[in-house]
Amino acid sequence: MHLEIEKISKSYGNEEVIKDLSLQLEANKTLSILGKSGCGKTTMLKIIAGLTKPDNGSIKMAGKDISDLSPEKRGIVYLYQEDLLFPHLNVFENIAFGLRIRKENEADINRKVNEMLLFLELEKQAQRMPHELSGGQRQRVSFGRAIIINPSILLLDEPFGSLDSGTRQRMQHLFKDMADKFQITSLLVTHDLKEAILMGDQIGFMKKGRLQVYNSRDEFINDPQTGVQSELHFWEGLKNEKTEQL
Amino acid sequence: MKISEPMLLKNRGNIGILLFFGVIIMPFAIAFLYALLYSFGLVGILNDGFTIAYWLTVLSAPQLGYSFLYSALIAAVSVIFSVGLSLFTVLYLKKALNKPFINFMLYMPLAIPGIVSAFFTYQLFARTGFFSRLSYQLGIITEAASFPDLINDQFAFGIILTFISLLAPFFILFYLNLYKNENLEALERVAISLGANPKLATLKVSLPILLKKSQTVVLLYFIFLLGAYEVPLILGQESPQMLSVLILQELRQFDLNKIPEGYTMAVIYTSVVSLITFFIFRSQKNKVIHG
Repeated sequence: MHLEIEKISKSYGNEEVIKDLSLQLEANKTLSILGKSGCGKTTMLKIIAGLTKPDNGSIKMAGKDISDLSPEKRGIVYLYQEDLLFPHLNVFENIAFGLRIRKENEADINRKVNEMLLFLELEKQAQRMPHELSGGQRQRVSFGRAIIINPSILLLDEPFGSLDSGTRQRMQHLFKDMADKFQITSLLVTHDLKEAILMGDQIGFMKKGRLQVYNSRDEFINDPQTGVQSELHFWEGLKNEKTEQL
Repeated sequence: MKISEPMLLKNRGNIGILLFFGVIIMPFAIAFLYALLYSFGLVGILNDGFTIAYWLTVLSAPQLGYSFLYSALIAAVSVIFSVGLSLFTVLYLKKALNKPFINFMLYMPLAIPGIVSAFFTYQLFARTGFFSRLSYQLGIITEAASFPDLINDQFAFGIILTFISLLAPFFILFYLNLYKNENLEALERVAISLGANPKLATLKVSLPILLKKSQTVVLLYFIFLLGAYEVPLILGQESPQMLSVLILQELRQFDLNKIPEGYTMAVIYTSVVSLITFFIFRSQKNKVIHG
């Protein structure tokens, strides 16, 4: 297993935000986790990224315990709902940031960034500053900046939440393509049911700090607590209503 | 007759512009014109017609040039130290600064006028001041004259220290607000997530953003210090003097023939500062337009 999390818990005061959370994720797969606001999704991602310390439990990456490693040494990139581009750097330098931190040579940086710009269809925007880009373009730069350093895991915290529906759809497809091309292992949390089903190779559901990962998509769809069944009933009801009217 | 809302807003805008011209631009323009006419001998009791003699005298004497250079050096050193100290404080001690008591204490120095700060510095660092007496009591010096000359000295120690004590609290509060408004904590987290250690994240992300965003304010404070009056008047040496002190001294001379030279200096100073300000704002405007 690429990522193994065992019995992680986290409390703030008397409130237990994460309860005995365990999961396993294979390399080059995406686990999407559906959950409402406040269910503990973000805390879980922060614990995996090393930004928050769990009260107990362990995190293993490729068999190695990384629970006590500092965030910059984990090789895990955390993407937020906001694109959080560096406002003082242009598109090229934003994407090159992680490579420069790793002190890669200039020729490699130029080659990799230009390849990434081409893939993201942003080659004409390379010299633009973040404030000159649209929301979708900014999010693409944010993905490119994260993926170019070949992270061991990509954590996505509702990354399409701030986009309009059209852009959101295009970004979902782009992310799927990127995940395939660059062999990305990722964990995506969302409160959007459709997004969770579309994006994940595996699907999980989180409620009040407890996570359940389903063995198959059907199992997820058939579980009443995920909300898929009530959604289906709603659309079927609407369809029947329309048929009766006709 | 009913007046539409856009019309009301437009009228309010026009009144604002009129007030701005009436209260700020007009008096300044009249005073500048008066000084200009005085410097060319066109007004003033002892003047009897157009002359460039005062300009030639001022421009050929080294006094104004030295004073300009001296003032610029003091202003630059004070601003650089204040900005450096503030950036260090905000970037490395921000947790402490967010405590309500310390945050409140930061606002206190902003309420102290420059002249009071100058007196504080005098009382603390003069040869008859607190530190001199303390050094004497501790046996570090044997007489007051042995205490280093920190007030009215050639290196403007007292002036620079006072300027820093006035500016640093302002810049700390300014950078603290920028840090929050620009979401720098989150940007640093992204940098760490991309492999930077916390120190590198601060140096590569927060520091350049804070410096870039504060460029205009830093330059405006430099100009403000260039023309400071009370602090150098109390703590400055006889020669060279800072610009405002020199110009006012010339304008208050008993020799009435010297007054036009004071006005000439004032015109030169005002023109240089206005030009600098104009170029600062033009470059800022270009940045907004071209990104």
